[in-house]
Amino acid sequence: MNIRQQLTQLLTVAYVFTSAFVLWKTLSIITNSHSPIVVVLSGSMEPAFQRGDILFLWNRDSYAKVGDIVVYEIKGKSIPIVHRVLREHHSQDFEKQLLLTKGDNNPIDDLGLYAKKQMYLNQKTDLVGTVKGYLPKLGYVTILISENVYFKYGLLGLMAVSSLFSNDS
Amino acid sequence: MFNLTTRFQNAANQALTTTIVISGLVILLTFIQLYHDNVWNLDSTSLDNIKPSASIKHSHNYGSVNRKPKENSKVQFDLDADLTPLFNWNTKQVFAYVTAEYPGKTPGSSNKVTYWDSIIVYKEDAKIHLTNQRSKYSVWDVENSFREREAILKLEWNIQPYIGPLIFGETSSSTNFTFAESPNKKKSEAV
Repeated sequence: MNIRQQLTQLLTVAYVFTSAFVLWKTLSIITNSHSPIVVVLSGSMEPAFQRGDILFLWNRDSYAKVGDIVVYEIKGKSIPIVHRVLREHHSQDFEKQLLLTKGDNNPIDDLGLYAKKQMYLNQKTDLVGTVKGYLPKLGYVTILISENVYFKYGLLGLMAVSSLFSNDS
Repeated sequence: MFNLTTRFQNAANQALTTTIVISGLVILLTFIQLYHDNVWNLDSTSLDNIKPSASIKHSHNYGSVNRKPKENSKVQFDLDADLTPLFNWNTKQVFAYVTAEYPGKTPGSSNKVTYWDSIIVYKEDAKIHLTNQRSKYSVWDVENSFREREAILKLEWNIQPYIGPLIFGETSSSTNFTFAESPNKKKSEAV
Protein backbone atom coordinates (compact mmCIF):
# COMPACT_ATOMS: atom_id res chain seq x y z
CA MET A 1 0.00 0.00 0.00
CA ASN A 2 1.58 3.23 -1.06
CA ILE A 3 0.98 6.71 0.23
CA ARG A 4 -0.48 7.98 -3.05
CA GLN A 5 -3.33 5.47 -2.85
CA GLN A 6 -4.09 6.46 0.72
CA LEU A 7 -4.18 10.14 -0.18
CA THR A 8 -6.54 9.44 -3.09
CA GLN A 9 -8.85 7.59 -0.72
CA LEU A 10 -8.76 10.51 1.72
CA LEU A 11 -9.58 12.87 -1.13
CA THR A 12 -12.56 10.74 -2.17
CA VAL A 13 -13.97 10.84 1.38
CA ALA A 14 -13.45 14.61 1.54
CA TYR A 15 -15.17 14.96 -1.84
CA VAL A 16 -18.22 13.04 -0.62
CA PHE A 17 -18.54 15.24 2.50
CA THR A 18 -18.05 18.55 0.68
CA SER A 19 -20.53 17.72 -2.07
CA ALA A 20 -23.14 16.78 0.56
CA PHE A 21 -22.46 20.07 2.37
CA VAL A 22 -22.66 22.13 -0.83
CA LEU A 23 -25.92 20.43 -1.81
CA TRP A 24 -27.44 21.14 1.62
CA LYS A 25 -26.41 24.82 1.59
CA THR A 26 -27.66 25.29 -1.99
CA LEU A 27 -31.04 23.88 -0.95
CA SER A 28 -30.94 26.26 2.04
CA ILE A 29 -30.48 29.26 -0.25
CA ILE A 30 -33.13 28.13 -2.75
CA THR A 31 -35.76 27.55 -0.04
CA ASN A 32 -34.61 30.41 2.24
CA SER A 33 -34.73 28.03 5.21
CA HIS A 34 -31.88 26.98 7.49
CA SER A 35 -33.11 23.39 7.42
CA PRO A 36 -34.93 22.73 4.14
CA ILE A 37 -35.44 19.03 4.86
CA VAL A 38 -36.60 17.87 8.30
CA VAL A 39 -37.36 14.49 9.89
CA VAL A 40 -40.52 14.20 12.00
CA LEU A 41 -39.71 13.36 15.63
CA SER A 42 -43.08 13.40 17.39
CA GLY A 43 -46.52 11.91 16.84
CA SER A 44 -48.49 15.14 17.25
CA MET A 45 -49.47 15.24 13.56
CA GLU A 46 -50.45 11.55 13.27
CA PRO A 47 -51.71 9.95 11.15
CA ALA A 48 -50.50 12.50 8.56
CA PHE A 49 -46.88 12.47 9.70
CA GLN A 50 -45.29 9.66 11.67
CA ARG A 51 -41.90 9.49 13.32
CA GLY A 52 -39.20 9.16 10.69
CA ASP A 53 -41.09 10.74 7.79
CA ILE A 54 -39.21 13.31 5.71
CA LEU A 55 -40.69 16.76 5.03
CA PHE A 56 -39.58 19.26 2.38
CA LEU A 57 -39.85 22.90 3.45
CA TRP A 58 -40.22 26.18 1.57
CA ASN A 59 -39.74 29.54 3.26
CA ARG A 60 -40.31 32.09 0.49
CA ASP A 61 -44.10 32.44 0.90
CA SER A 62 -44.92 36.01 1.93
CA TYR A 63 -47.78 34.79 4.12
CA ALA A 64 -49.20 31.60 5.65
CA LYS A 65 -52.72 30.30 5.07
CA VAL A 66 -55.01 28.62 7.58
CA GLY A 67 -54.55 24.87 7.07
CA ASP A 68 -50.90 25.15 6.05
CA ILE A 69 -48.51 22.91 7.95
CA VAL A 70 -45.57 24.98 9.19
CA VAL A 71 -42.34 24.26 11.02
CA TYR A 72 -41.53 26.82 13.71
CA GLU A 73 -38.94 27.45 16.38
CA ILE A 74 -39.52 29.04 19.76
CA LYS A 75 -36.70 31.17 21.19
CA GLY A 76 -34.89 29.22 23.91
CA LYS A 77 -36.21 25.85 22.73
CA SER A 78 -33.94 23.94 20.37
CA ILE A 79 -36.39 21.49 18.76
CA PRO A 80 -38.41 22.73 15.77
CA ILE A 81 -42.14 21.86 15.83
CA VAL A 82 -44.29 20.75 12.85
CA HIS A 83 -47.92 21.85 13.31
CA ARG A 84 -50.90 23.17 11.37
CA VAL A 85 -51.98 26.84 11.24
CA LEU A 86 -55.29 27.17 13.11
CA ARG A 87 -55.76 30.96 12.90
CA GLU A 88 -54.10 33.86 11.12
CA HIS A 89 -54.43 37.61 11.66
CA HIS A 90 -52.72 39.96 9.22
CA SER A 91 -52.41 43.68 8.49
CA GLN A 92 -52.59 45.26 5.02
CA ASP A 93 -50.58 43.38 2.37
CA PHE A 94 -49.39 40.88 4.98
CA GLU A 95 -46.84 43.34 6.40
CA LYS A 96 -47.37 41.66 9.73
CA GLN A 97 -48.99 38.29 10.27
CA LEU A 98 -49.75 36.48 13.53
CA LEU A 99 -50.37 32.73 13.60
CA LEU A 100 -51.82 30.29 16.10
CA THR A 101 -50.92 26.64 15.46
CA LYS A 102 -52.10 23.22 16.63
CA GLY A 103 -51.05 19.60 16.09
CA ASP A 104 -53.82 17.60 14.36
CA ASN A 105 -53.45 14.82 16.92
CA ASN A 106 -53.27 17.15 19.95
CA PRO A 107 -56.44 18.01 21.90
CA ILE A 108 -55.58 21.70 22.33
CA ASP A 109 -53.72 24.49 20.50
CA ASP A 110 -50.03 25.34 20.95
CA LEU A 111 -50.35 28.22 23.47
CA GLY A 112 -48.67 26.01 26.09
CA LEU A 113 -45.72 25.31 23.77
CA TYR A 114 -44.97 28.97 23.04
CA ALA A 115 -42.69 31.11 25.20
CA LYS A 116 -44.09 32.68 28.35
CA LYS A 117 -46.65 35.42 27.57
CA GLN A 118 -46.35 34.67 23.83
CA MET A 119 -49.84 34.46 22.31
CA TYR A 120 -48.98 34.10 18.61
CA LEU A 121 -46.19 33.16 16.20
CA ASN A 122 -44.79 35.86 13.95
CA GLN A 123 -44.86 34.67 10.32
CA LYS A 124 -41.74 36.69 9.43
CA THR A 125 -39.44 35.61 12.26
CA ASP A 126 -40.60 32.36 13.88
CA LEU A 127 -41.08 30.05 10.89
CA VAL A 128 -38.42 27.67 9.56
CA GLY A 129 -40.64 26.91 6.57
CA THR A 130 -43.94 25.59 5.24
CA VAL A 131 -44.30 21.89 4.46
CA LYS A 132 -44.72 21.36 0.71
CA GLY A 133 -43.73 17.76 0.10
CA TYR A 134 -43.64 14.47 1.92
CA LEU A 135 -41.60 11.28 1.78
CA PRO A 136 -42.51 8.44 4.15
CA LYS A 137 -40.26 6.54 6.58
CA LEU A 138 -36.83 7.16 5.00
CA GLY A 139 -35.71 9.57 7.72
CA TYR A 140 -35.93 6.85 10.33
CA VAL A 141 -32.22 6.14 9.70
CA THR A 142 -31.28 9.46 11.30
CA ILE A 143 -33.47 8.71 14.34
CA LEU A 144 -31.80 5.29 14.65
CA ILE A 145 -28.32 6.86 14.47
CA SER A 146 -29.08 9.61 16.99
CA GLU A 147 -31.11 7.54 19.48
CA ASN A 148 -29.81 3.96 19.22
CA VAL A 149 -26.21 3.40 20.37
CA TYR A 150 -26.02 -0.17 19.01
CA PHE A 151 -27.07 0.95 15.54
CA LYS A 152 -24.56 3.81 15.56
CA TYR A 153 -21.56 1.69 16.57
CA GLY A 154 -22.75 -1.19 14.38
CA LEU A 155 -22.72 1.13 11.38
CA LEU A 156 -19.30 2.53 12.30
CA GLY A 157 -17.95 -1.02 12.74
CA LEU A 158 -19.33 -2.09 9.37
CA MET A 159 -17.66 0.89 7.71
CA ALA A 160 -14.34 0.05 9.39
CA VAL A 161 -14.52 -3.61 8.33
CA SER A 162 -15.46 -2.71 4.76
CA SER A 163 -12.52 -0.28 4.53
CA LEU A 164 -10.20 -3.14 5.62
CA PHE A 165 -11.53 -5.40 2.91
CA SER A 166 -11.45 -2.72 0.23
CA ASN A 167 -7.66 -2.69 0.32
CA ASP A 168 -7.15 -6.00 -1.53
CA SER A 169 -7.77 -4.38 -4.89
CA MET B 1 -12.34 -3.17 -8.53
CA PHE B 2 -15.29 -5.12 -7.18
CA ASN B 3 -14.76 -4.54 -3.50
CA LEU B 4 -17.44 -4.05 -0.85
CA THR B 5 -17.48 -0.25 -1.06
CA THR B 6 -18.01 0.05 -4.82
CA ARG B 7 -20.66 -2.68 -4.76
CA PHE B 8 -22.48 -0.82 -1.99
CA GLN B 9 -22.15 2.47 -3.86
CA ASN B 10 -23.57 0.99 -7.06
CA ALA B 11 -26.50 -0.55 -5.19
CA ALA B 12 -27.19 2.74 -3.37
CA ASN B 13 -27.05 4.74 -6.61
CA GLN B 14 -29.41 2.35 -8.33
CA ALA B 15 -31.86 2.49 -5.40
CA LEU B 16 -31.78 6.31 -5.29
CA THR B 17 -32.32 6.75 -9.05
CA THR B 18 -35.19 4.25 -9.10
CA THR B 19 -36.84 5.89 -6.08
CA ILE B 20 -36.68 9.36 -7.66
CA VAL B 21 -38.08 8.17 -11.01
CA ILE B 22 -40.93 6.18 -9.41
CA SER B 23 -41.80 9.07 -7.03
CA GLY B 24 -41.95 11.48 -9.97
CA LEU B 25 -44.30 9.14 -11.85
CA VAL B 26 -46.53 8.69 -8.78
CA ILE B 27 -46.81 12.48 -8.27
CA LEU B 28 -47.63 13.07 -11.95
CA LEU B 29 -50.30 10.33 -12.02
CA THR B 30 -51.83 11.66 -8.77
CA PHE B 31 -52.29 15.13 -10.27
CA ILE B 32 -53.79 13.71 -13.47
CA GLN B 33 -56.21 11.67 -11.37
CA LEU B 34 -57.20 14.71 -9.21
CA TYR B 35 -57.84 16.91 -12.27
CA HIS B 36 -59.81 14.08 -13.83
CA ASP B 37 -61.97 13.81 -10.68
CA ASN B 38 -62.41 17.61 -10.74
CA VAL B 39 -61.74 17.90 -7.01
CA TRP B 40 -61.24 21.69 -7.04
CA ASN B 41 -64.90 22.18 -7.94
CA LEU B 42 -66.80 20.06 -5.43
CA ASP B 43 -70.23 21.69 -5.58
CA SER B 44 -72.41 19.20 -3.70
CA THR B 45 -71.65 20.77 -0.33
CA SER B 46 -73.86 22.92 1.87
CA LEU B 47 -73.14 24.82 5.05
CA ASP B 48 -76.05 26.52 6.77
CA ASN B 49 -78.20 26.97 9.90
CA ILE B 50 -75.38 28.92 11.54
CA LYS B 51 -75.93 29.93 15.16
CA PRO B 52 -73.11 32.03 16.63
CA SER B 53 -72.71 32.51 20.37
CA ALA B 54 -70.34 34.52 22.56
CA SER B 55 -68.93 34.18 26.05
CA ILE B 56 -66.42 35.99 28.25
CA LYS B 57 -63.31 34.10 29.39
CA HIS B 58 -60.63 35.05 31.89
CA SER B 59 -58.14 32.21 31.38
CA HIS B 60 -54.84 32.40 29.48
CA ASN B 61 -55.94 29.26 27.59
CA TYR B 62 -58.79 31.27 26.06
CA GLY B 63 -56.66 34.21 24.92
CA SER B 64 -56.96 36.34 28.06
CA VAL B 65 -53.90 38.35 29.10
CA ASN B 66 -53.52 39.05 32.84
CA ARG B 67 -57.05 37.73 33.47
CA LYS B 68 -58.65 40.61 31.58
CA PRO B 69 -62.03 39.65 30.09
CA LYS B 70 -61.72 38.25 26.55
CA GLU B 71 -64.66 37.57 24.27
CA ASN B 72 -64.76 34.04 22.83
CA SER B 73 -66.91 32.98 19.91
CA LYS B 74 -68.48 29.64 19.00
CA VAL B 75 -70.84 28.59 16.21
CA GLN B 76 -73.30 25.78 15.63
CA PHE B 77 -73.80 24.71 12.04
CA ASP B 78 -75.22 22.11 9.65
CA LEU B 79 -72.78 20.64 7.17
CA ASP B 80 -73.42 18.36 4.21
CA ALA B 81 -70.45 17.41 2.10
CA ASP B 82 -69.20 14.53 0.01
CA LEU B 83 -65.41 14.43 -0.01
CA THR B 84 -65.09 10.93 -1.51
CA PRO B 85 -63.56 12.24 -4.80
CA LEU B 86 -60.54 13.34 -2.73
CA PHE B 87 -59.74 9.71 -1.99
CA ASN B 88 -57.61 7.94 -4.58
CA TRP B 89 -54.75 5.45 -4.44
CA ASN B 90 -52.29 8.10 -3.17
CA THR B 91 -54.48 9.59 -0.42
CA LYS B 92 -53.32 8.83 3.11
CA GLN B 93 -55.77 11.15 4.84
CA VAL B 94 -57.98 14.15 4.21
CA PHE B 95 -58.07 17.00 6.70
CA ALA B 96 -61.39 18.87 6.48
CA TYR B 97 -61.79 22.20 8.28
CA VAL B 98 -64.41 24.91 8.62
CA THR B 99 -62.97 28.43 8.58
CA ALA B 100 -64.41 31.91 9.14
CA GLU B 101 -62.88 34.94 7.46
CA TYR B 102 -63.63 38.48 8.68
CA PRO B 103 -62.10 41.97 8.35
CA GLY B 104 -59.81 43.54 10.93
CA LYS B 105 -59.69 47.00 12.46
CA THR B 106 -57.41 48.78 9.97
CA PRO B 107 -58.17 48.90 6.21
CA GLY B 108 -56.73 45.91 4.37
CA SER B 109 -56.34 43.80 7.48
CA SER B 110 -58.08 40.47 7.69
CA ASN B 111 -58.46 37.42 9.92
CA LYS B 112 -59.19 33.75 9.36
CA VAL B 113 -59.99 31.30 12.15
CA THR B 114 -60.87 27.59 12.36
CA TYR B 115 -64.07 26.54 14.16
CA TRP B 116 -64.13 22.85 13.42
CA ASP B 117 -61.88 20.25 11.80
CA SER B 118 -61.73 16.53 11.25
CA ILE B 119 -59.19 13.94 10.18
CA ILE B 120 -60.71 11.54 7.64
CA VAL B 121 -58.69 8.38 7.03
CA TYR B 122 -61.21 6.14 5.23
CA LYS B 123 -63.16 6.81 2.07
CA GLU B 124 -66.29 5.44 3.75
CA ASP B 125 -66.15 8.32 6.28
CA ALA B 126 -65.80 11.03 3.63
CA LYS B 127 -69.56 11.68 3.35
CA ILE B 128 -70.13 14.28 6.06
CA HIS B 129 -73.64 14.81 7.52
CA LEU B 130 -73.70 17.08 10.52
CA THR B 131 -76.72 18.79 12.09
CA ASN B 132 -76.39 21.34 14.89
CA GLN B 133 -72.68 20.52 15.09
CA ARG B 134 -71.04 22.53 17.85
CA SER B 135 -67.71 24.14 17.01
CA LYS B 136 -64.64 22.28 18.18
CA TYR B 137 -62.75 25.42 19.18
CA SER B 138 -63.55 28.43 21.33
CA VAL B 139 -62.18 31.24 19.19
CA TRP B 140 -60.82 34.61 20.28
CA ASP B 141 -59.65 37.54 18.19
CA VAL B 142 -56.55 39.76 18.35
CA GLU B 143 -58.99 42.46 19.46
CA ASN B 144 -60.98 42.08 22.69
CA SER B 145 -64.31 41.69 20.91
CA PHE B 146 -65.67 40.41 17.60
CA ARG B 147 -67.80 43.60 17.43
CA GLU B 148 -70.66 41.83 15.58
CA ARG B 149 -68.64 41.87 12.36
CA GLU B 150 -69.73 39.82 9.39
CA ALA B 151 -67.79 36.68 8.53
CA ILE B 152 -67.70 34.13 5.72
CA LEU B 153 -67.86 30.48 6.74
CA LYS B 154 -66.29 27.93 4.40
CA LEU B 155 -65.34 24.25 4.24
CA GLU B 156 -61.74 23.66 3.15
CA TRP B 157 -59.68 20.52 2.72
CA ASN B 158 -56.13 19.24 2.57
CA ILE B 159 -55.02 15.95 1.05
CA GLN B 160 -52.08 14.25 2.74
CA PRO B 161 -50.60 11.84 0.17
CA TYR B 162 -48.63 8.64 0.79
CA ILE B 163 -45.86 10.33 -1.16
CA GLY B 164 -45.57 13.73 -2.85
CA PRO B 165 -46.84 17.28 -2.31
CA LEU B 166 -49.58 18.37 0.10
CA ILE B 167 -52.68 19.42 -1.86
CA PHE B 168 -55.11 22.12 -0.68
CA GLY B 169 -58.52 23.27 -1.83
CA GLU B 170 -61.84 24.68 -0.74
CA THR B 171 -65.44 23.72 -1.51
CA SER B 172 -67.74 26.10 -3.31
CA SER B 173 -70.13 26.38 -0.37
CA SER B 174 -69.71 29.56 1.65
CA THR B 175 -72.18 31.21 4.03
CA ASN B 176 -72.19 34.61 5.70
CA PHE B 177 -73.01 35.14 9.37
CA THR B 178 -72.70 37.90 11.94
CA PHE B 179 -70.81 37.33 15.20
CA ALA B 180 -73.02 37.15 18.29
CA GLU B 181 -73.47 40.19 20.50
CA SER B 182 -70.94 40.38 23.33
CA PRO B 183 -72.35 39.34 26.76
CA ASN B 184 -70.63 42.42 28.23
CA LYS B 185 -72.65 44.72 26.02
CA LYS B 186 -75.93 43.09 27.02
CA LYS B 187 -75.01 43.56 30.69
CA SER B 188 -74.14 47.24 30.34
CA GLU B 189 -77.34 47.91 28.43
CA ALA B 190 -79.44 46.25 31.13
CA VAL B 191 -77.92 48.46 33.88
